[in-house]
Amino acid sequence: MSQPVVLVPLDGSEQALSALPVAKVLSEIESAALHIVYVGEHEPAVDEPGVRLGREVPVLEGYTIDARVGAPAAVILQVAAEIKPRLITMCKHSSPEDGKLLGRTAMKVLQNAPCPVVLVPPERAATPWRLHHILVPHDGTPSTSAALPPAADLAQRGRAELLVAHITNIGAAPAESGSFTTPFYVDQPQHEWPAWTSEFVRRLACVCPLGHLHVRLFLAHGNPAAEVLRLSKRQSTDLIVLAWRGTWEAPRAAVFKGILREAQCPTMVVRA
Amino acid sequence: MAPTVDPGWIIVEEGFTLTREHELESLFTIGNGYAGSRGSLEEGSELSAPATFVAGVYASEPGSVPCIALVADWTRLSATIEGNPLRLGQGDDLEHRRILDMRQGILWREWRHQDGAGRITRMRTLRLASLADRHLLVQCVTITPENYSGSLSINGILTGPVAQVTINGITIAMEVASRVMDHAGHRTRAIELIDGRHNVELTMGKTYRLDRIVALHTSRDTTEPHDKARGHAERAIEDMAGVIGEHCDAWRARWKTSDVPVDGDPAAQRALRFAVYHLVTAANPLDDRVSIGARGLTGTAYKGHIFWDTDIFMLPFFILTYPEAARALLMYRYHTLAAARAKAARLGHRGAFYAWESAENGEEVTPPFVIAPDGEVIRIFTGEQEQHISADVAFGVWKYWEATADEHFLVEAGAEILIETARFWASRAAHEEDGRYHIRGVIGPDEYHETVDDNAYTNGLAQWNLEVAAQVVRLLTERWPTECRALSRRLALEPDEPRRWLRVARDLYTGFDEQTGLFEQFQGYFELEEIDLAPFTPRNAPMDVLLGRERIQRSKIIKQPDVVMLVHLLWERMPPEVRRVNFSYYEPRCGHGSSLSPAIHALVAARLGDTALAERYFRQAAEIDLADNMGNAAAGIHIGSLGGLWQAAVFGFGGLSLSGEKPEHNSNLPRSWHSVSVRFYWRGRRYELVVPEGIKEIGHNP
Repeated sequence: MSQPVVLVPLDGSEQALSALPVAKVLSEIESAALHIVYVGEHEPAVDEPGVRLGREVPVLEGYTIDARVGAPAAVILQVAAEIKPRLITMCKHSSPEDGKLLGRTAMKVLQNAPCPVVLVPPERAATPWRLHHILVPHDGTPSTSAALPPAADLAQRGRAELLVAHITNIGAAPAESGSFTTPFYVDQPQHEWPAWTSEFVRRLACVCPLGHLHVRLFLAHGNPAAEVLRLSKRQSTDLIVLAWRGTWEAPRAAVFKGILREAQCPTMVVRA
Repeated sequence: MAPTVDPGWIIVEEGFTLTREHELESLFTIGNGYAGSRGSLEEGSELSAPATFVAGVYASEPGSVPCIALVADWTRLSATIEGNPLRLGQGDDLEHRRILDMRQGILWREWRHQDGAGRITRMRTLRLASLADRHLLVQCVTITPENYSGSLSINGILTGPVAQVTINGITIAMEVASRVMDHAGHRTRAIELIDGRHNVELTMGKTYRLDRIVALHTSRDTTEPHDKARGHAERAIEDMAGVIGEHCDAWRARWKTSDVPVDGDPAAQRALRFAVYHLVTAANPLDDRVSIGARGLTGTAYKGHIFWDTDIFMLPFFILTYPEAARALLMYRYHTLAAARAKAARLGHRGAFYAWESAENGEEVTPPFVIAPDGEVIRIFTGEQEQHISADVAFGVWKYWEATADEHFLVEAGAEILIETARFWASRAAHEEDGRYHIRGVIGPDEYHETVDDNAYTNGLAQWNLEVAAQVVRLLTERWPTECRALSRRLALEPDEPRRWLRVARDLYTGFDEQTGLFEQFQGYFELEEIDLAPFTPRNAPMDVLLGRERIQRSKIIKQPDVVMLVHLLWERMPPEVRRVNFSYYEPRCGHGSSLSPAIHALVAARLGDTALAERYFRQAAEIDLADNMGNAAAGIHIGSLGGLWQAAVFGFGGLSLSGEKPEHNSNLPRSWHSVSVRFYWRGRRYELVVPEGIKEIGHNP
């Protein structure tokens, strides 16, 4: 079996380098090779990628640099199709201040990637990154559970703690069959809450083996995106893992977009 | 035998959605009041939680409250075709459906499976807990190889010990007898039986059948549970047709007295039959030392603990359609009087203060705290403060007496409960400077507000309890003077006690305002913050989660009917205008945080003539377990709510009134219902109410 790969697209900008520390840690956790694809719209000068990588090079042992020319998103997706990476880790190329969800390239890659994509806020710059706490927001629907296996796998390999957040809010219960949300009826809290917690965790364990993983379940109420971000900050989470149905339509995409836009830590997006 | 086809009698689940498994297991529970088994898949799945419970058998770990015990799972089956396991999701599931056949009390499963080699196997399973012989659990599997001949290996597995002794010292014995029959109904000659595994050479197109009978006895019932179980299983397997036939006859008889046919609303019809089915599967008229837990015998949630749900929400169904089961449930309260007396004495009171949560012996088993998923440690006060439970028990006793005129019960047990609960209220209520009696520091049915003074429901029902106890002493004195003297001696009943009860009842603070006709739910309630619930609708979480416990306690939002519950129970004591103004005031302030809430709102709204509102609440109540959108039923069905649903149909839409000398009714049918009918027992006679036509007498008690 060939070694797994973490793909890191760079474009020569300082912002793009923010993905490197994250990709490095993830590749170590996954025992994966780091494949850097440097995409420019023209032929790079000799050693340009290495120059651009600058001080990062010494810490990135075993990486591959793949310099290509062309439309960035198309090239990244082409490389992904060729090497079938486990993850793509790249800079969001957007920030809460500029109001954009993602940069143009990141958006196209996210929409068409064949694997989970880790989007790194440019504000992180190239500061070191570690993985201690992974947060998975879960609305109780089976489709959201798509985020769990990769999150649990990462947590297990990286010996990180898995935090699962269920946010209740005003609105109808999800229509998806098999959903499990906060109990509408709490006849007796001394019985209902332990039963609910146990059921929630059992459903998580059914989607992915939790093994000896340390899982903490959080229940909060309010605006789901705001609550997830608040919890992420309070718990100093290092990675938020989101399931995405591939649509930008309201209402669920609003939560997804809110978290993606505002998250101060990297966000891994898994297609539901 | 075949499943019932009429959709009004069946709950069907087509296909397979793994994440629904737990709730389906609850819904598809089979039971007979002695034992209950969740409707788990025979071969199991990643999310299966098979469980079999025996009523009244609890396990108590040191330092924790008792929990209904799990006995060995008898429903597991492992089958292989040519060495390949037959499992859902492995190969192609060409058809798969599960059918809860409520009419016959049977859980069916129909499955056509194609394996990787193209072999198509048709399988049908039947599972039941005999209602005719409550110690028997039955499983039949038919297997037809549609397009191949080959070898089948099938093993009925008893996972867990055949003999088990609970921590509480109860021995549980299970014995299995099985046989395999060929298509002609003969025991096959090609069987090898090794450790319970049957190996059969299948012939294409022929149907084979595995029969299994499990006999279940405990040391609660017999001194030799093992011997009894062994002999029982061995005898029963020789007459499978008889065992199944008698079970179906027992259900037929039960439905004859308990069905509530509805014309015009198929969903309501199914929901009502679902309610009756689960109520029947939870009750055992032959064992008066057990009662029905808040989730019946369908799940481990609520630990099998018994609440007021039984006395107030379920009991009316049993009183009117299954009085022998009602009597057994009330006798559980009688047998647990000693614990109720001890609890009252511990708190410095006289009489009987029943446990808010009880298990095998009536001791208080409410957990003292819980850690909510948001990390908050919640102190639980219900065990000390939800004192209305004593009046609830008394209420059930009196309603049973009114309906059955069961003199033996009243004299031997019921009167004692009524007297001891009245004594509790007389000592609990404190006479204060304003000349009134007050009951301070309680929780009413609205559990959002704790440690309140003079809760209207508590005081209202305490007042009723005191008056009825005085009435029953008068009745005993007049009709059974000898027994009355004996009881008075035994209870050290002083001659002037009934007069004192009446004095306390007369001067008990009720919170009733003559000007407005409103009961104040508790002292200070009207000063609390007004919060409009409309902006919180729809929601998929209870209001105390959305607002937080502190905010909800400062608000007028209530968890479930409290004053409205009082209006429902003491309907005849309230002038029509008082019923109306209180419902109009409290209904919009109810957040329905309890599953017991919607059905009672449906009932009262219907009786007040607001049938549209009543219908909306009825549907909400009907969907609590049956709707596939929240996983509500995963850890067990809400059997108290099901009792409430039955009451909403009968007393609400049917308008049945039993306050006079003869049963009466008012038609409050919702627009979609053309008719509803119910048969019931009342004072030695059988009646049939057909709404809108009327009530007719149809016979005597058997």
